[in-house]
Amino acid sequence: MKNKLYLILIFIFLIIIMINILVFAHKVIIFAYVEGDIVYTESYFSDGKKCIDSKIEVFDSQGNKLLEGITDENGEFSFKTPQEEGDLKIVLTAGMGHRAEYSISADEIRGSTGLIKEEPVSLISPETSLVDLKEIQSIIEGTLDEKLKPIMREMIEIKKSQEDKISPTEIIGGIGYIIGIFGIIAYFLSRKK
Amino acid sequence: MHISEGILSAPVLVMGAVLTATAVGYSLKKMEHKEVPKVAILSSVFFVASLIHVPVGPSSVHLILNGIIGVLLGWSAFPAILVALVLQGVLFQFGGVTTLGVNTLNMALPAIICFYLFDRGIKGENNFIALTLAFVCGFLAVLLSGIMVAVALVLTGEPFVQVAKLVLIAHLPVMILEGVLTVFCIGFLRKVRPEILNV
Repeated sequence: MKNKLYLILIFIFLIIIMINILVFAHKVIIFAYVEGDIVYTESYFSDGKKCIDSKIEVFDSQGNKLLEGITDENGEFSFKTPQEEGDLKIVLTAGMGHRAEYSISADEIRGSTGLIKEEPVSLISPETSLVDLKEIQSIIEGTLDEKLKPIMREMIEIKKSQEDKISPTEIIGGIGYIIGIFGIIAYFLSRKK
Repeated sequence: MHISEGILSAPVLVMGAVLTATAVGYSLKKMEHKEVPKVAILSSVFFVASLIHVPVGPSSVHLILNGIIGVLLGWSAFPAILVALVLQGVLFQFGGVTTLGVNTLNMALPAIICFYLFDRGIKGENNFIALTLAFVCGFLAVLLSGIMVAVALVLTGEPFVQVAKLVLIAHLPVMILEGVLTVFCIGFLRKVRPEILNV
């Protein structure tokens, strides 16, 4: 009777743990996004703890180091978008063997800095209207940026939550794999004799 | 405790892989047919334990439970931990493929050291001594793992004092917690299932 009570207690304990741990994984995550001509990065452990005083290095697509820095007490670090064309690779080293990477594509940087090459304006094209068009373009861009900001934020949140969710399926599946692997080992051990 | 990819230098990685392969081969040869279910269950325990975070201290750390695994499994701790690490790497992106050898060694070698140090005491007649040793065993296994991580990083070129301090301070809460957990586990097994411990 006492044994059974113990077993039930352990079972309840395990269920409580299972419910609590599902969101966590043990690794560091770095996340970056471009706003205007500044790249913002956030670094954190998968249980939500920020990586403070961790080294961040930025590489271009050829693997040359462009700059490096240290995260602040919120795990954040930002830098001005470098002039180089091409993708950026951001590497986080958080001590005790933790390391993570994040790449930002060239499109994302250019799209955000407004460096899109201007199409030759081949409308009716009197010299005077060109100025107006440019003005209109910058106004539109400004308003769009403003309007899209909340949506971008939400996208970033969604991307982040996808990064570090561990589903119960994966945990249970993993345990299944372990039992399967040891089943195979047991088979070979039994054949040996 | 999971060292990520791209941190360690090649000689350290190769050394870890070779040592782990040798140890796994040896223990598979030694493993009894009857033992396999026990190894599988403790491998699952290790697999899940790394998901449980200890929210104390400056860094992010989790349970390892290699002390208990070592005492219960002996040499079979190597395959148990290797299999669990492979799956953690594939499913949760903990650690990495190239660091698999080093990571397995870092967690399984302390398990075996604890097995040789505490096996007799924990399985002995005296309850008080057994439980005291259980605490030391859980504590020491994590401490040794921490030291091995520090050594691996130092061999790659990080400054020793800084790394060692970081690893020790970060894992102090885990060491204490694992010591206590080991006491409960061993106490429970001694009462309910002494045959697992061959008391």
